[in-house]
Amino acid sequence: MSEVLAAISTSVIEGNLNDCVKLTQEALAAGMAADTILDNGLMPGMDYVGVEFKAGNMFVPEVLRSARAMQGAMDLVRPLLSATGASMTGKIILGTVKGDLHDIGKNLVAMMCEGAGFEVKDLGKNIEPDAFVKAVKEFEPNIVGMSALLTTTMRSMEHTIKALEEAGLRDKVKVMIGGAPVTQSFADQIGADGYASNAASASEMAKKFAKA
Amino acid sequence: MASPQKLPVVILACEIMKSMLPDLLPDGLVDQLTYFDYGLHRVPNKLTWTLQEAIDSIETPSLIVLGYGLCGNGLNGIRARQHTLLIPRVDDCIAILLGSHKKYMQEFEAVPGTYYLSKGWLESGSHPLKEYHEYVEKYGEKDAAWVMDQQYRHYDRLALVAHTPADIDKYRAQAEAVARYCEQWGMRYEEILGSDVYVRRMIEVIAALEKADDDFVIVPPGGEIRQEQFIR
Repeated sequence: MSEVLAAISTSVIEGNLNDCVKLTQEALAAGMAADTILDNGLMPGMDYVGVEFKAGNMFVPEVLRSARAMQGAMDLVRPLLSATGASMTGKIILGTVKGDLHDIGKNLVAMMCEGAGFEVKDLGKNIEPDAFVKAVKEFEPNIVGMSALLTTTMRSMEHTIKALEEAGLRDKVKVMIGGAPVTQSFADQIGADGYASNAASASEMAKKFAKA
Repeated sequence: MASPQKLPVVILACEIMKSMLPDLLPDGLVDQLTYFDYGLHRVPNKLTWTLQEAIDSIETPSLIVLGYGLCGNGLNGIRARQHTLLIPRVDDCIAILLGSHKKYMQEFEAVPGTYYLSKGWLESGSHPLKEYHEYVEKYGEKDAAWVMDQQYRHYDRLALVAHTPADIDKYRAQAEAVARYCEQWGMRYEEILGSDVYVRRMIEVIAALEKADDDFVIVPPGGEIRQEQFIR
């Protein structure tokens, strides 16, 4: 990895918005391809942040700052990606489930999926099962991603899967779930297709599902 | 379970229970009562291994009461070993302070975006105002304000919960200071008088395990605490 890309990764990890934007601008000016910066600079930085957060070595404010730094650079990189006609990886719908207002994790997943080349439809927070169903009908995604931060609201994930079944849409999409209290065993129990423990692994899993 | 009520009784509880347990426990019911720092809650893994270590250090097969809820999965995966475990079937201490799971669900459904303050959280836990000051030191004022906004902008209410009117009076001034800070997100301040009913029922169950209903989780020797047991 080039020095510039390593420095871009570091600026994401350190949550240094100014450095991240400046380094990205310089790399672009020097002729580096936008997708190289994204795939080999920004994304690896955020991958690292996701793993460290899960391990308890980084905390919410640090993750937020990292995300902001990456977002700042993404704003520069994004228009250039579409200009080169980079093909979309797939379509994904994301939302924090009914009764839950926490959206930091879901927003990170949205950013990582966008970085991975997905067309992302972010429904927001406190999303009713029926609203997921409606969005699946309209947007026809490959994947539905649900997030919950509370054990109290985890049940809504199961309700949403049931609503997709009742609407005859369950086999049209892969369902991924995540959030602090969510576990693999809960995912198995409610019939989700996948569980991801952090935003980076969520986008990796989404890529696999979209290819399948 | 062969007459588990004859087992020695050990209570391992969060400090939050300190304001209720001593007054309610009848003499001679409990052989050992240990409190743990509130702060463990902030790092669920730390809570898991601290309690596991405490359980493992008890040799005589006992009825071990965990004065906790699922606490952000902090209790998930704890093994009973040779003991019988008894735990209130709640997500966290808010339901215990309010007196029942039902009351908690009522409050939750009324205002999902509620940040609960209690004696424990005000004394040794955290709250938005304290967090803000910590962030200012670490990241400077501008970034601290931005991070706080990201975390709390969707909350609608700040609620002080205590099981006695005296505690509400005692912690009002502190809670109101937090409330003033949280006004920037349109959060309103409310006081909710809880109850010690849940703790009273837990004590009844300790004395006679057969009284345990679906408000309690019992893990037999050799078993393990699992998240599923708490979800209803």
